[in-house]
Amino acid sequence: MLSREEWLPLARKLDWDYSYVREDEVFPEVISGRPWLPHSEWKDWEESFKTSYREYVDNQYEKDMAVQAVHDAVGRIENVQKLALPWLNSLKVHAAALPLAEFTGVIGNLRGARFGRDSAWRTMATFGALDEYRHTQIPLLLFHPLLRVDSQFDWAHKFYHTNNWFAVAARHFFDELTVGQNAIEFHIATNVVLETGFTNLQFVGLASLARESSDHMFERMVTSIQTDEARHAQIGHPVLATVMKHDPKYVQYLVDKWFWRNWRLFSILTGLSIDYLTAPDQRPYSFKEFMEEWIIDQFLRTLDEFGLEKPWYWDLLLDELDIYHHMIYASAYSYRATLWFNFVIPGPAERKWLRQKYPKYWDDMDAVWEQISERWRTVGPGPANELAVHGTAMPTFCDLCQLPLSAGTPRKNTARVLVHADRKYIFCSEPCQWIFLHEPERYANHKDVVKRVLSGEAPAQLPDLLTEYFNLTPDTWGKDAHNGNYEWLGARKDSAA
Amino acid sequence: MPVPLYGFLQGDTVGLLILAEDADTLEALAQKLQAAASLRVAAKNRVRVVYKDKTMDPTLTVAQAGFEALDRFDVLSG
Repeated sequence: MLSREEWLPLARKLDWDYSYVREDEVFPEVISGRPWLPHSEWKDWEESFKTSYREYVDNQYEKDMAVQAVHDAVGRIENVQKLALPWLNSLKVHAAALPLAEFTGVIGNLRGARFGRDSAWRTMATFGALDEYRHTQIPLLLFHPLLRVDSQFDWAHKFYHTNNWFAVAARHFFDELTVGQNAIEFHIATNVVLETGFTNLQFVGLASLARESSDHMFERMVTSIQTDEARHAQIGHPVLATVMKHDPKYVQYLVDKWFWRNWRLFSILTGLSIDYLTAPDQRPYSFKEFMEEWIIDQFLRTLDEFGLEKPWYWDLLLDELDIYHHMIYASAYSYRATLWFNFVIPGPAERKWLRQKYPKYWDDMDAVWEQISERWRTVGPGPANELAVHGTAMPTFCDLCQLPLSAGTPRKNTARVLVHADRKYIFCSEPCQWIFLHEPERYANHKDVVKRVLSGEAPAQLPDLLTEYFNLTPDTWGKDAHNGNYEWLGARKDSAA
Repeated sequence: MPVPLYGFLQGDTVGLLILAEDADTLEALAQKLQAAASLRVAAKNRVRVVYKDKTMDPTLTVAQAGFEALDRFDVLSG
């Protein structure tokens, strides 16, 4: 019998020359990805974990048991009910956005498991698919039962099956990233850009917030998931290194495109959690500080490692760190009934903290919050007045990222109209337009929510849009978590200054 | 005839869909946008409509100004 050290290399590197079919028929470019290269260019593909299936199962079993033990100890409904209100709503965001997004990662990894160009790559992608299935099931198991005490947790299963505007945006992102993607672009975009970059926001940043918020169940869950990510993220680097030798411009495009697309989505998913949906005394840092330390610096090191340039929009991105997620949060608050979780208004102490962390544009944001607060003062607190402190006109969305046209600053929104093939499009920003123009055939036929309303596919009246198209109900749609009942609302207007 | 337009009010955090009428003056159009955004931005008396980088005559109608469906317009202070 062969020892592990003898059989594992044979099993992992099980490639052969085809005699009855051509190699490009086994691995068509359309699904394996470009540039199409013969296997001789991929045969040195390698990663450092070199795990066997038995080792994988043993390790995952131990990790699952550890998560289960924490769940049994501190993950009961009564534990969750003790969490601070803002953090509880942060959980609802991630309970909806995370699980089935991870399931699309199963599909992407299975594409790599079949159409990856070297058997060691395919082996690792098989484990990656199993990982992502785990990352689907664990949050569903932990979050969905909470609907017994809070019906908004139903969105753990429901979110991606609705036409809610944020679900439309998230599906647009994950469908392109994972479900409909060729193996090369999937592994560069997912492993290199998302998993070695942005998942730090989820798995380091949110784990830290969860610890501060005494949510040890969530902390353990994301930490356990991160150990899988660290392994299967290794797939992307040797893929990128090989493509880089043959088509560095294409690699630069993929990295630029996917960094921007990730930034758009994760600045909302994580930015709102860090700067708004965590109790102020439980915030260890601002979203911007975390981005600078964990994402920006690390991404620049990765670019340097592979001889890549900074994306052309780098200065714009750094500027957005100060404002984009603040624009989104204020907009979302004023259209909170279109979402499935509740919001809080930043009070004077929070606004003081936000001003310190984000001095560049905070004056403009403060004016917006003062105006919203003034509306609550006028109508008075209470559930009956929720819709009196709510937007009525239709908000608008980007034709690329599908997110609200909330880029730029309150003084100068950067939305731009483009006529392409006799059709009019609008983009929130120059990078979104740039991505569209590189691959118009991929994006041109997708309709944002506004175009669906105008074409009659979606109801034009807000109540109908919420219930018939966004699948919300008066019980589940988002509200002010305090129904406008804030002690400070009666205080002097200038108390936040 | 209704003309759907993307309206951006200075000071606001999101663009809004404004259904204008051909016969609306640009002054009335600015008021529509200010009313639609009033939850976030206090209405101002002195505003101007900017379309394709030009400040427009507020007495023109939407049709006279050449606005077409899904165009962008801005309402700025002053």
